Amino acid sequence: MLLFRDEEHVDRWCAAREIRRGAVVSLDQAWRLAHGWYRDKAKPFWRRHTVGEAEALFKEVGLSGPFWSLRG
Amino acid sequence: MIQLADPTGDLATEVRVTLFSVAAATGRVPQAPELARTLQRSESDVRAALRQLAAARALILAPNDGDIWAASPFCAVPSAFRVSALGRLYFGICIWDALGIAAAIDAAADITAPCGDCGAPMRLEIRDGALARTEGVVHFAVPAARWWDNIGFT
Repeated sequence: MLLFRDEEHVDRWCAAREIRRGAVVSLDQAWRLAHGWYRDKAKPFWRRHTVGEAEALFKEVGLSGPFWSLRG
Repeated sequence: MIQLADPTGDLATEVRVTLFSVAAATGRVPQAPELARTLQRSESDVRAALRQLAAARALILAPNDGDIWAASPFCAVPSAFRVSALGRLYFGICIWDALGIAAAIDAAADITAPCGDCGAPMRLEIRDGALARTEGVVHFAVPAARWWDNIGFT
């Protein structure tokens, strides 16, 4: 996952590599996603999210649809 | 589909707790020899535990030598995704992990990363558990279900 100045830079990066544009998310969404994903990672009781938990996190952050499905 | 198996072996748990504790406290990801010395176990046992943790996707091993590439979100080698926090320097393998470091250490953090397209330096700040300075957008190139097809390109 890369940071870009704006969506025009995303499109230029994708075009240069002939890859389809993926999903563009705001920094606020990315922060909330990272926080939910990693906040317990360094703690002894950490465990992996279940598929349901991960998808619930995506949804909570406003990320839904086929791109964010883990059941593909 | 993402596999959910968690490491359940005692040594794997000891290795995980130790290495993430060191990474969070220092910004440096300890490798197998250091973990073996710390835990007073053989290096081969520790490497087996690391493979178990990698299979459970708790960390990522480098493809050639089997060393830890990233105890996500903590990258074991310097990268362009730099996190300054608690007077230390941490590295993430991507912008999500850089943000994840700030979350994992629960501290104020300054993140610098280049624009993926033009390379222009960009800066984010985390304060009091929230984004205090932000610029740009984040692009996920690969659908979530395929992230682990090649975790080095997502």
